[in-house]
Amino acid sequence: MATTQQKSRLVELLTGPASGVLILLAFYIALLVFFTFLTPFFMTTRNLTSIASNVAFIGLMAAAGTPLIVAGGLDLSVAAVAGLSGVLIALLNAAGWPIWLAVGGAMGMGAIVGLANGLLATKFKLNPLIVTLATMSIVGGLALILTGGLTKPVMQPSFNWIGQGRVFGIPVPALLMLAVYVALALLMKMTHFGRYVYAVGGNPEASRLIGLPVNRVQITLYIVSAMSGALAGAMLAAMLGAAAPAAASPHLLTVIAAIILGGTSLAGGRGSIWGTLIAVLILGTLNNGLTLNNVSSFWQDVTRGVVLILAVGVDQLRLHLQAR
Amino acid sequence: MSSQQSADTARVRMHAIGKSFGGVAVLSDVGFHIEPGEIVALLGANGAGKSTLMKIMTGVYSRDTGEVAINGQPVVMSAPKDAVEAGISFLPQEISVMPEMTVAENIYLGLMRRKNALGLNNTSDMETTAKAMLAQVGFDHIPLNAQVGHLSVAEQRVVEIARALAIDAQVLVMDEPTAALSEQDAQTMFEALRSLRNGGTSIVYISHYLSEVFEIADRIEVLRDGLNAGSFRTQDTTIEAVLEAMLGRTADKLFDHRPSTLTDTALLELSDLSWREGLHGVSLTVRPGEMVGVFGLVGSGVEHLGKVIFGAEAGGLAGSMRLDGKPYSPRSPRDGKAQGIGYVTAERKTDGILSELSVAQNLAAAFWPDYRNGPFASKSAETQLADRWIESFSIRTQGPEQVMRFLSGGNQQKVCVARWLHEGVRLLILEEPTRGVDMGARRDIYARLGDYAAEGLAILVLSSDAEEIAGLCDRSMVMNRGRIVGRFDAGADTNTLMAATANGVAMDA
Repeated sequence: MATTQQKSRLVELLTGPASGVLILLAFYIALLVFFTFLTPFFMTTRNLTSIASNVAFIGLMAAAGTPLIVAGGLDLSVAAVAGLSGVLIALLNAAGWPIWLAVGGAMGMGAIVGLANGLLATKFKLNPLIVTLATMSIVGGLALILTGGLTKPVMQPSFNWIGQGRVFGIPVPALLMLAVYVALALLMKMTHFGRYVYAVGGNPEASRLIGLPVNRVQITLYIVSAMSGALAGAMLAAMLGAAAPAAASPHLLTVIAAIILGGTSLAGGRGSIWGTLIAVLILGTLNNGLTLNNVSSFWQDVTRGVVLILAVGVDQLRLHLQAR
Repeated sequence: MSSQQSADTARVRMHAIGKSFGGVAVLSDVGFHIEPGEIVALLGANGAGKSTLMKIMTGVYSRDTGEVAINGQPVVMSAPKDAVEAGISFLPQEISVMPEMTVAENIYLGLMRRKNALGLNNTSDMETTAKAMLAQVGFDHIPLNAQVGHLSVAEQRVVEIARALAIDAQVLVMDEPTAALSEQDAQTMFEALRSLRNGGTSIVYISHYLSEVFEIADRIEVLRDGLNAGSFRTQDTTIEAVLEAMLGRTADKLFDHRPSTLTDTALLELSDLSWREGLHGVSLTVRPGEMVGVFGLVGSGVEHLGKVIFGAEAGGLAGSMRLDGKPYSPRSPRDGKAQGIGYVTAERKTDGILSELSVAQNLAAAFWPDYRNGPFASKSAETQLADRWIESFSIRTQGPEQVMRFLSGGNQQKVCVARWLHEGVRLLILEEPTRGVDMGARRDIYARLGDYAAEGLAILVLSSDAEEIAGLCDRSMVMNRGRIVGRFDAGADTNTLMAATANGVAMDA
């Protein structure tokens, strides 16, 4: 009797509305405890702030990617946009533009790429995977052409502050990332736009037939995604004091992995901003903890893959239990 | 019914078949048989049990009671492949061929495991088989290496039939085989069926088109409410006799709606509206407070009309639409909605519900910005709306937060209707408003529509259920092959509507 009761309570815990995020959070706490016992240096302010700075860049891109995938889209060009953004800031600034105007130019570039992605994927009904794979290639290529493949310095104290500064001991990139998460979470939860996102991703045809602005929602989210890529690129350039054209591209898969790990369905209609944030923290912490324990980065890739498969497996189990 | 003989000549004999779903009897004590070289039409209104009976014959469902014998031998079929092995092939309404493959490959599809000595595909066997099968159907002029996607629809049907023959089908069960075919294509297919029959194949032909049935069938079997309701030799009977067997006495009005404040000015006025291949010269008007019905069977064009008016099928329009006397040409559902038009789709499961969202969100979805708290979305306003509808429309749900997909079909449909019963909606278009909906929910929906019509809502019902149109609408029309073929300004009973469809085909032929 007791066991069945325990079992049903476990099922309840696994199937509740916020259960996905709670399971991730529990896993994250377990991960923190594990590394704390394994490595004395792990649970120190210095290490924790370093994790926070390191994940901010990926976290920013994953934040805006989440509502886009929930709404049935996909943006593979986001990391390439981040690369071009850093390059543009460095080059425009070097050409005499005031630094913040250069940042504005980079953000404008992001908006244009996002608009192009959105129009091609909605009005022209092209597959978003193909569209953004193509713009990824175009944008990545432009960054290399503009720089000749070289790294360009960006040294402006006020600008570098957004990558290196601290407020009350907390790194500015982490604060920036957190602000974006809070803003997007409010957008998804509190506004009609947020309602549309879930409806459009869950069933685009039904949404169209009840007169929801399906294309407008998706185009807006493509723009938001590309602009957050541009912001992430600016932050990375500020952090490193330089812009390398290909600095961001290798992180694309981590961004997508974080969104999926966070419980967002690639099929659309399901997902949460906070799930993505915790997933970003899990991946960043795993990276940090394994490095502290001298695990080679090759093995870190393997570990990340295993965690991803486990997470998706647990998620499927959860949905299966819910359906019963 | 005929008694069981010791030497049964029937190819298939079904005796005293009974089947229930969830305690509801769908078939009781039904008999059916077919002889070699015979075409038998199986007729019945929606829900009469035709498809259940055929699913039992083709091994999709198991029977609760009764026996099935093939060539005099009792059989038990637990899966469709058992039926196929026994020589029974089912051809569904939608043609299922591989458009990218050749005619020969399509016909040989079920025999691909026959290899030649080298273990490769046996091309010569494939070609001889395909040729022989096409000859059997009388269509050996179709080139074997033609890509099937390039053939006419009728020829694709023929290839599909030849494919069934290649795996030794002796009985073909065809569901509405002409639904996707033009009149000329239908004639082409009839030729094929006749030559098959003459060669000894048995064909069960399910159709709503009575004129067609009278043209092709040797015998007509009628089901009504899960019982045998009549058996006719085609040459000895009339359309009227068959209709009466199908429908029984004229059903009572399901809902008695009396328009109270009818004005003479039309809200919606279509004149000579044509749309691509789907609609031809359709004219109709709907006035405020009026329920107008268009009855049409599957493939009649009635499935396009609602989407065209609502703006969901833009482009390819000719003729004119007017709303309040002003020209109206919607380019998207948003245009239709902005003009005060609502639309409830026939495809509730795939295109109607937002299955992962809550009941409350589904109800609010069409007019979300109206449920607000300052600039923000308001969950409590959504919940209030849902509480109101759950109460007044008796929607059975655990509560406003229940996820939509867990509701029954009838309750989902109530939500799909209720979401448009909102201030500012003047015309509501409903496609198949009660398909797959239980009787209780059906009455609730009709009653609610009646209430809103009495308050001036214009309602256009598009349905393949003649009883529904007859019972609900003040004025009705019949559509066939994209044209209005019957117009009944004082309403019409079920028999009249069915007869109009049948005659419509006859006139075209």
